Amino acid sequence: MTTRERLAAVQEWVEVRVGISQLIEMGREKKVPLHRHSFWYYMGGMTLFLFGIQVGTGILLLLYYRPSSGEAFESVQFLMTRVPFGWLIRSIHSWSANLLVFVLFLHMFSAFFLKAFRKPRELTWLTGAVLLALMMGFGFSGYLLPWNTLAFFATQVGTEVAGRVPVVGEFALRLLRGGDQVTGATLTRFYGIHVAILPALTTVILGAHLLFVQKHGMSVPPQVEADAERAGKPLGSYPFLPNFLLRDAIGWCAALGVLAGLAALFPWELGEKADPFASAPAGIRPEWYFGWMFQTLKMLPPHILGFEGEVLGILAITLGFIIWFAVPFLDRTPRPGNRVTRAFAVGGWLALLYMAVATAMVYWPQ
Amino acid sequence: MRTWLFVTFLAMAGASGSVAQDAKTPAAPNAAKQESSCILCHKQLDGPALEPTKHLDDIHMQRGLSCHDCHGGDPTKGGDEDPSAAHDERKGWKEKPTRLQVPLFCARCHGDAAYMKTFNPQIRVDQLSEYRTSVHGQRNAKGDSRTAVCIDCHGVHGIRAIKDPRSKVHPTQVADTCARCHSDPELMARYGLETNQATAYKTSVHARAIYEKGDLSAPTCNDCHGSHGAAPPGVATVAQVCGSCHSREGSLYRETEGKKPGLNLSPAIQCVTCHDNHAVHRPTDEMLGIGSKSVCTNCHGPEDKQFKSAEGMGRAIQGLSARLAEANDMLDRAERAGVEINADRFALRAGQNHLVEARVLVHAFDEERFMAAVHEGMGSAETALTAGERAFSELRRRRMGLTVSLVVIAAVIGGLVLKVREIERDKNA
Repeated sequence: MTTRERLAAVQEWVEVRVGISQLIEMGREKKVPLHRHSFWYYMGGMTLFLFGIQVGTGILLLLYYRPSSGEAFESVQFLMTRVPFGWLIRSIHSWSANLLVFVLFLHMFSAFFLKAFRKPRELTWLTGAVLLALMMGFGFSGYLLPWNTLAFFATQVGTEVAGRVPVVGEFALRLLRGGDQVTGATLTRFYGIHVAILPALTTVILGAHLLFVQKHGMSVPPQVEADAERAGKPLGSYPFLPNFLLRDAIGWCAALGVLAGLAALFPWELGEKADPFASAPAGIRPEWYFGWMFQTLKMLPPHILGFEGEVLGILAITLGFIIWFAVPFLDRTPRPGNRVTRAFAVGGWLALLYMAVATAMVYWPQ
Repeated sequence: MRTWLFVTFLAMAGASGSVAQDAKTPAAPNAAKQESSCILCHKQLDGPALEPTKHLDDIHMQRGLSCHDCHGGDPTKGGDEDPSAAHDERKGWKEKPTRLQVPLFCARCHGDAAYMKTFNPQIRVDQLSEYRTSVHGQRNAKGDSRTAVCIDCHGVHGIRAIKDPRSKVHPTQVADTCARCHSDPELMARYGLETNQATAYKTSVHARAIYEKGDLSAPTCNDCHGSHGAAPPGVATVAQVCGSCHSREGSLYRETEGKKPGLNLSPAIQCVTCHDNHAVHRPTDEMLGIGSKSVCTNCHGPEDKQFKSAEGMGRAIQGLSARLAEANDMLDRAERAGVEINADRFALRAGQNHLVEARVLVHAFDEERFMAAVHEGMGSAETALTAGERAFSELRRRRMGLTVSLVVIAAVIGGLVLKVREIERDKNA
C-alpha cells in the first residue's frame, strides 16, 4: 500500500466516524452577506481567534505559575527570565487580552449600530453581552495574578468599588477578596476564578453564542435591506467556506503579526513585587477598559442631593449595563425613521464618546 | 519698668530640682485666669508696654498660665481708678528679672519636677543644671550679662513649643537663632570667636537635608553642641559627636585610636580634618586619593607611605564606583527596552552595598579591609555587567526573531490574499 493509499484509508476512517465532508459542505452552503458594512463581520472571528490565543498561552503560563502571595511574583519572574520564550508567552497573553477586549468592544458596538440584535437574534446579543462581562472578569482577575505593586493596589481599589454597591456590596467585597483585605487568599481566589470558573462559564456561553450565530446567520443592517429593496436588487453574498474563512485568516495573521511586534518591542512589564504594608504608589489606575468607570466615580462629588456620589455613580453604571443588556427588548423594531431606534443610535454614540473621553482623561497627564 | 511688666516668663529654659525657690511656684493652671487686669491695662498702653499683649498664643497662655503666674501681683485689681493696685508687692509682684536672673526665674517652674509633671509627665527639668555646664551658663554665673540666657533662644513672650515651626528653637530656625549672636562681629569680638559658623553651616549637607529635603532629623547647631549645655564639643573626641549619628564610621575610627601611628590627632580635629566642622559637604570618592579634590594630600606628601596607599585606595574606589554606574546604566537600558532584569539587579545592589561598605571602611584606615570590600564589589559589578550584556544579546535575538516571524506572517498573508483572489476570480469567470 502506497503512502497516498494509506492516507486515503485514514481519511475514509475519519470520514465514516466524524463526517467532515458534511461539515465542509455546510460551510460552503453558509452564505455571508456582501454589502458596505461587511467588514464588521470579521470582528467576531477576530475575537474568537484572540480568545484562542488566550487559552493557548494561558495553558502554557499555568505550567509555571504558582498561585500564592509568596511565590506568584517569583514564578512569573522566573518564567520571564529563565524559561525559554517565557517572556514571549506572557507578553502575548497580556497584549492579546487587551486586544481581545478592544476587538470585543468593536464587535459589540458594530452589532449595536448595525442593529444586529433585532429579532430573532436577541439571545445572540444577550450571550454576547454576557461574554463581554466575562472577558472583563478575565481581565480583572488576571491583572492581580503577577502579584505586583500596581496590580495589588488596583485590585484593592477595584474591589472597594464593588464593596460600595448598595445591599450586596459588603458581601461582594468579602466574596472577591476572601476576607476583609486583599491578601494571598484573594490571589488564590482570583486564580481559581481566572482559570476555572470563568473558562467554564465562557465555554458554555460562547458555545451558545456560536450556535445562535450559526442558526440565524449574519444579520443584515435594516438600512442595507431597505436600500436593496428600494433598488430591487437582491443582496450579494459569498460562501463562508472558503471565501470568508480565508479573509478571516488574513485578519488573524495580521493580528498575530501585531501581537508579535508588541510582545517583542514592548514586553509586558512585571514591576515590583506587591508589598501589602507599603503605601499605595502614585498613579494607580485600572486596566484601560475599566478606565471610564474609574474616571466617572472619580469625577463625582462626594454628595449628590443628599446621597453618596460614589454610590449614585455605581447605580448609574449598573443601570447603564442593564439597559445595554436589554437593548433588543427596548428597541424592538429597529428600522430607519423609527424614533426609538434613532434615540438608541444617538444614545449609543454619546455613550461611546463619553467612554472614549473618560478613558482618555485617565491617561491624560495631570 | 512698666513697659516690661509682662516680660520673661519662659518655657524651655529651666532649672534643676535643687534650684533655690526664691519665689512661689505658680498654682495649677487655670484657663479662666487669662482674663486679667494686666491684659486690660496693657492693651491701652503704647510701645514696649503693649508688646506682651500681642502674644496671647504663647504656650504658657495656652496651658492656662497668665501674667501674674510669672510676675506676681493681683490681676483682679487695677483698672482706671488705680492702675498700680495690681502691682501689689504683698501679692508677690516683682519687677522684671535682669538678664543674670533670667535662668533662675524660668527655673522656678522648669526645674520643679512635681509642677512640670502636671503639664507633661515626660518633660525635662534639668535645663538649668545643663545650662550651668555651658559656656553661656558659666559666663552668666560669673556676671556676664551679654551671654545667652533662656529668652535669647526661646523669646520672651510668644514662646512656642519646640515642634511648632514658628518656634525660634524649631530645627529649621535654630541656626538663625544661634546666628543672631554668633554672627554678630561686635559681640563675638569680645570673646575672640569667629562669626562664619552659620554661613558655613548653611552650605553643608546637613543644612541641605533640613532646608531642602525637610528632614528634621538632620543635625543643626544644638545636635552637635548641645542645647542648654551649649559648648564646643566637650566629649573625649569629636569622633564621638559625629559618631552619635554616623555610628559605624565613629566606631571604626575609635578602633584605630592609639593603634595607628600618626592617627593620634587632637580630639578637637579628628573628623573635621577631612570633613570640616560647620561646612560638612557631601563626601565624594574623589576625597580619597591624590587628585585635586583629595583630602589625604592635605597631610600626606609623596614621600609618605600613606600617600601611596591613598593613591591605590582612591583609584580602587573610583574604579568600583564607575564600574557600578556602567552596570546600572546597562541594566536600565535593557529594562527600558523590555528585558526583565529585576533578578539581575541583586548583583548590582550587592555591588553598591560593597561600595558603601568600602566608603565606610575608609574610616578604619585599614587598606587591606578596604581593598577586600572593593574587590567583592568589583565581583558583583562584573556579574551585573555580564547580566546586562546577556540582556542585550537577548534583545538582539528577540528582534531577529520578530523580523523572521513578520516575514513569515507577511508571506502567509500574501499567499492567502492570492488564494482569495484566485477563488473569487474563478467564481466571477
